[in-house]
Amino acid sequence: MQTTEAASVPPSLDEKKKEVRSPIWVKLRPIYPFIVILAIWQVAAMQAQGNQGRLFPTVDAIMFRAWELVTDPLFRALAENPNLDLMGYFWKLLESPILLHTLNTAWRLPFSFFIAAVVGTIVGILMGRFAFWESFFVPLLSVLLPIPAIAWTPIVVIWSGIGDQTVIVITAFASFLPIAMAVWTGVKTVNPVWIRAAQSMNADKMTIFRTVVLPGSLPMILSGMRIGLARAWRAGVGAEAFAGIRWGLSAGIFDAQEYLDIAFMMVALGILGLFGFVLEKVLFQPIESRTVIRWGMMEAMGAQDKKV
Amino acid sequence: MRLLQNIAKVYLRFLSRRVFARISVHWFDSNSPERLSLSSFLGIYLSMVTKISIQNLRKIYDTPERRVHALEGVNLNIEDGEFICLVGLSGCGKTTLLNMLAGFVEITAGTITMDGRPLTQDFDKGVVFQEYALFPWRTARQNVEYGLEIRNVPEEERTRIAQDYLRLVRLEEFADFFPHNLSGGMRQRVAVARAMAFDPQILLMDEPFGALDAQTREELQELTVDVWQKTKKTILYVTHNLSEAVYLGNRIVVFVPNPGRIREIVRVDLPRPRDDLAPEFIKLQRHVNDLIRDF
Ligand SMILES: Nc1ncnc2c1ncn2[C@@H]1O[C@H](COP(=O)(O)OP(=O)(O)OP(=O)(O)O)[C@@H](O)[C@H]1O
Ligand SMILES: [Mg+2]
Repeated sequence: MQTTEAASVPPSLDEKKKEVRSPIWVKLRPIYPFIVILAIWQVAAMQAQGNQGRLFPTVDAIMFRAWELVTDPLFRALAENPNLDLMGYFWKLLESPILLHTLNTAWRLPFSFFIAAVVGTIVGILMGRFAFWESFFVPLLSVLLPIPAIAWTPIVVIWSGIGDQTVIVITAFASFLPIAMAVWTGVKTVNPVWIRAAQSMNADKMTIFRTVVLPGSLPMILSGMRIGLARAWRAGVGAEAFAGIRWGLSAGIFDAQEYLDIAFMMVALGILGLFGFVLEKVLFQPIESRTVIRWGMMEAMGAQDKKV
Repeated sequence: MRLLQNIAKVYLRFLSRRVFARISVHWFDSNSPERLSLSSFLGIYLSMVTKISIQNLRKIYDTPERRVHALEGVNLNIEDGEFICLVGLSGCGKTTLLNMLAGFVEITAGTITMDGRPLTQDFDKGVVFQEYALFPWRTARQNVEYGLEIRNVPEEERTRIAQDYLRLVRLEEFADFFPHNLSGGMRQRVAVARAMAFDPQILLMDEPFGALDAQTREELQELTVDVWQKTKKTILYVTHNLSEAVYLGNRIVVFVPNPGRIREIVRVDLPRPRDDLAPEFIKLQRHVNDLIRDF
């Protein structure tokens, strides 16, 4: 008996940490495909230099352009007025178009997503808990879900004009739909044995909801949020371009098209990609590793081990 | 001796719960509730020793496709502190009976009374399910504390009680582990601790160790007897394993299917701890086996 127990002792936390700590080259491994692609790009761009120059910039040209985009206003300001104070420099730095584009996208998107997450969770819970709301929302959402949210842009522009509000409405709407659906599914499919277990200890409905249904549906809710964020990202970026607003990374990309400024486009695209990556890293992975992964609920859902 | 103890216990309970009115209304409609006559006490004694009384219970599941007559004419009186095993072929309604006791499914006809009163939804029952029913988002200790939280037991006391029951199932060191880090047998032990910590009046166990390997199961059977002897809970225990039934039960209720009904109730008077290789043990096991199969 003693031995059975000893055999089933999981490794202690310290041991686990040691296992996870891996050498730096292992951590940096996901970067190497990018290096390969960039190298190929560089070679191809150098070949094409002769006739296409600006249309197919080399990697170093893009990097230089990125640097230039960020610091140009600052240097220009320096040239005009060499004795600017620190805050002055800061404000000048903020005048750089690429930063303005980035900042605009950076607040609009999380803001819209947040609205969608809150509303989507509430609607999903209503649907999961009350037959009335279920029969009300399910048909609506099923019809709305397949429509690309971008397609609503012209209507929303006509109704609410050109501006942040239009982009926010489109983005929030796009990500609201999958979130509501996922929360609904999660609430409906909580393991009934957990609910019976709570019932057998005389937990009332509200308590069961709070202590069993919510944590029990967390894996579904989180994966819904993920899909919601991806959708928000797509819709938001599209809406920026089509709603005709001035500031926003993809608005910037479409502007740059006019001047054939490929380097700018590449830089903006890179930032967009980085954005998604950072959101995943700072938002979802910490939440997941602290909750559903720690509880072993992802294995139950059949999720694969994520390395990146 | 046991009888005297019982009588004394019941008498105390009788007084402390101020059951005059209730019981006399229930049992002797015409009796004056103020007087404690010997006859009324006897009636109460019987009703008190009989923890659960099941009368003419019937269950019919009505589904759109078909009607299943799951249970018919089930009569069973369960004494306080008894260990009852339910055995029978698959589909003869054992889980259904347990679920009706737990209040998970409706009774079609018949009555279940507990301490002389009709069963209400919210009496204190502990249920150990065949599937792993632990909450994966709670550590072993937090799982055990769940029922106590529902009952608003203060935190310190909660922790202490949880600790006690984790010790009872020999899992103290694993208190802060999440269920997915525990082995199957350990999880079921936590489940037992969770059901017990709630201090239920009866414990309903539906093939709790069915999914475990033979060694672990034996170990947990011993543990169950141990816990039962220490806590004196009334236990209803469903199993497919006849050796397990003979090992654990005071009485074995043998069900036969179509419709599910009680074939016979076998009393097991073997002294504990029981030896599953003793001739009497094997004889009893064979007897139950015959009862299950040919009807
Ligand atoms: N929710 C339900 N709806 C319809 N029929 C049901 C339902 N639950 C059980 N039954 C039927 O009732 C009968 C008894 O089922 P029950 O689960 O009580 O059997 P059991 O004795 O526990 O069997 P096993 O040993 O396989 O667990 C079966 O024929 C089953 O199909
Ligand atoms: Mg069953």
